[in-house]
Amino acid sequence: MRLISRNISGNVLHPKIYFPFFLVVLMAILPLVPQNPFYGDIIVSSFFYGTMALAWNLVGGFAGQISLGHTAFFGIGAYTSTLLYLHYALSPWVGMLAGAGLSVLVAIGIGIPCFRLKSHFFALATIAIGEVLRFLASYWRGLTQGGVGLLIPFKPGIENLMFKSKTPYAYIALALMLVMLLICYVIRNSRFGFHLISLREDQDAAESLGVKSSRSKLTALIISVIFTSISGTFYAQYILFIDPFTLFSLGISIELALFAIIGGLGTVTGPILGAFLLTPLDVFLRAWLGGVSAGLNFIIYGLVLMVAVKYFPLGISGWVRTWYGPFLQKLPGGQRAWKTEEAMALSLVPARASDSGKEREKSPFFAVKSLNKRFGGLVAVRDVSFQIQKGEILGLIGPNGAGKTTIFNLVTGFIPPDSGQVVFQGETITGLKPPHQICLKHIGRTFQLVKPFKDMTALENVMVGAFARVQNAQEARKRALEILAFIGLTKHRDSLASSLTIADRKRLELGRALATQPDLFLLDEVVAGLNPKETEEIISTIKKISGQGVTIFMIAHVMKAVMALSDRIIVLHHGEKIAEGTPLEISRDKRVVEAYLGEDYLA
Amino acid sequence: MDITVLQLIINGLLLGGMYALISIGLTLIFGVLEIINFAHGEFLMLAMYAAFWLFQLYGIDPYLSMVIILPLFFLIGVLVQRVTIQPIINAPPLNQIFMTVGLSMVLQNVALFVWTADYRTVKTTYSGLTLKTAGLLISFPRLVAFLLAMGLIAALLIFLKKTYTGKAIRALAQERKAAMLMGINVYRTYQIAFGIGSACVGAAGAMLIPVYFVFPSVGSLFVLIAFVVVILGGYNSLTGSLVGGLIIGVVEAFSGFFISPHLKEAIYFVIFILILLFKPTGLFGRA
Repeated sequence: MRLISRNISGNVLHPKIYFPFFLVVLMAILPLVPQNPFYGDIIVSSFFYGTMALAWNLVGGFAGQISLGHTAFFGIGAYTSTLLYLHYALSPWVGMLAGAGLSVLVAIGIGIPCFRLKSHFFALATIAIGEVLRFLASYWRGLTQGGVGLLIPFKPGIENLMFKSKTPYAYIALALMLVMLLICYVIRNSRFGFHLISLREDQDAAESLGVKSSRSKLTALIISVIFTSISGTFYAQYILFIDPFTLFSLGISIELALFAIIGGLGTVTGPILGAFLLTPLDVFLRAWLGGVSAGLNFIIYGLVLMVAVKYFPLGISGWVRTWYGPFLQKLPGGQRAWKTEEAMALSLVPARASDSGKEREKSPFFAVKSLNKRFGGLVAVRDVSFQIQKGEILGLIGPNGAGKTTIFNLVTGFIPPDSGQVVFQGETITGLKPPHQICLKHIGRTFQLVKPFKDMTALENVMVGAFARVQNAQEARKRALEILAFIGLTKHRDSLASSLTIADRKRLELGRALATQPDLFLLDEVVAGLNPKETEEIISTIKKISGQGVTIFMIAHVMKAVMALSDRIIVLHHGEKIAEGTPLEISRDKRVVEAYLGEDYLA
Repeated sequence: MDITVLQLIINGLLLGGMYALISIGLTLIFGVLEIINFAHGEFLMLAMYAAFWLFQLYGIDPYLSMVIILPLFFLIGVLVQRVTIQPIINAPPLNQIFMTVGLSMVLQNVALFVWTADYRTVKTTYSGLTLKTAGLLISFPRLVAFLLAMGLIAALLIFLKKTYTGKAIRALAQERKAAMLMGINVYRTYQIAFGIGSACVGAAGAMLIPVYFVFPSVGSLFVLIAFVVVILGGYNSLTGSLVGGLIIGVVEAFSGFFISPHLKEAIYFVIFILILLFKPTGLFGRA
């Protein structure tokens, strides 16, 4: 599922631009074709489900939050506008906005607590919420007439969003779908889109790159429910009858997810492909088999779902992608050059203009005082204090389990300390969380087990980091390309991160964090697992980074790297600092030799 | 203690025993395979139909039919695991969720197609039998069901603690890679765990048919209760499922009496959401 970052200054007469427009025109003509209302209904339904599938995909595909309760918002939209119309003669055009507003409030109320849950549990929670609303709608008979449902009297007229023929409905549904499609397309190639996808891939890594996970997920959810809710209003005005069982049924939630999965999860057009394929299929199945026996169409639906999940995880979109490019090239104009690539000057990473205030220079660049952390009975970090001078490289060594990564996690907002103080550039940042706040303060980190965003290319990975400092996608791309050149990964820029070797992944992780322009860079075991040549290369890269003025704090086991790079070293053992000094001093310290280096090292 | 309260507690516990048995299967599966089997309720439904038809066609008492149903559903569980879950064991959670959701849809609608939506139940000679002691009324079938359920759960816990396979299952639930390195046949253990989980819910189905109705979507109702129990007890704790089931049974008895039987579902959901939000590890779960 590669992002395709388009350069908008491309040639307009290229099929990449005009062919999609051609498809849109085709869709616009479609509603005029059929004479039979049966087929007209299929077209309206396809557009309408297309919108809802796109909306679901924003949360489920882009952000990776599997919601099986989206039907709740569909129902809220339908009931709100209908009740307002029936009791206050409020036009559905206004009612849909009211419904959307209510849905947004509910979404915020649900989203904030539920987004904390992991995938399976989030899905369960959303099912529960959908069911609660269904229950409320049936039980609250005074408001909703309960299971009897609400009938909307037929009064055609545009102000009532009711028409005699299917055609106007089809155009409204199409317009809605195109708007949603446009929004999805814009999001996909924007900073917000990159943030969502990085969240889906690895939330911890995303946070460390400045992605505000809660806010991003919530924003995606809000946009999604607005359109789902509006679709609910549209449905009510189209079918003219609503009841809790149909509107809040789990089946609808599952169908939306199904469209997105079959079509291509996380892609822009996938959900539409899924909706256009499955909606007619569903209608025909119901028409042909529904009479034969109840439920047969659902059996087929269920089987389609199971088969798709196993054999076509990338959906139709994945298949289309294999021939779409070559197909476009065969069209008139397809051979023209797409866009001219600006020659990338191998410029080094521009050193960040340091905000030097006199006050800042007095206080230590980075200081940790009496940091403590225990996990149950185990004291992981005991009364650790140290300082880091601006511009130096400080090494952190010690036996496994000494507490090194714990200190990193304490300082970067992943775990809260029990007590102690952390001060950075004159500001107390003890226990600051979530991790994205730390990134925004210009502290960057890498992880011991690298966390690349596997479904993104190397370039896109670094762009996520770049987006911590810029809003514009073009600018982020430019900076990312510069960083890739700096760390020597230009040749892999369009390769998926999942295809890179461990050495390249480590380099990618460095580059990605570097793009957030850290003043202090925490490297966790960046040398581990590399062969001697790769070790040399990464040592020289780290030296280059240091040369740019970035202060480095690194954990490492490979003595060669530590001794070669560090200006000073701290030694940790059983959570306590047992030594501090230059590499030479450390290597001669008896306690360090005993605890960690071993007698052979001295020899 | 007020006799009504005592009666409610007893009713609740008897009911809760069933819930515990249903949920323990789910917990086992989730603990070992890290998959929430959204089709778990449909297994219950199928077991209830199986017990119904065994009684209807061959006159086999539901409690006795467990002798057939336990091994049968063990095999069904193994088969389902091999065919639908195993191929996607390393896929992202989304795919796994939808595989079992799809399975649930298929099973429900096959049942609808084959057996129609009519409600069925089993009426045996002792279906309506109640015991009277100390002013309390105890439903005989429910008591038998409770005792059988507790027996099965005890047997399961002993199995997990004492036998090699049981220990393998526990090891796998705690740390997959280390378990593989210790020579545990992971794939076979997955199948066994899924099979046992399904057998448990199968037994529950057999026990349930004399006191309840079966219809194609009965699974949805019970699976929801099972989810609440699993979350309440702790999604990786079997004792949690036992205790959670009993608690939920008692809560249902009390809320049905003091508030309203209709609001039962709503109360489950509220408990469910509250636990997920404030203590996702449940009562006995490890983080």
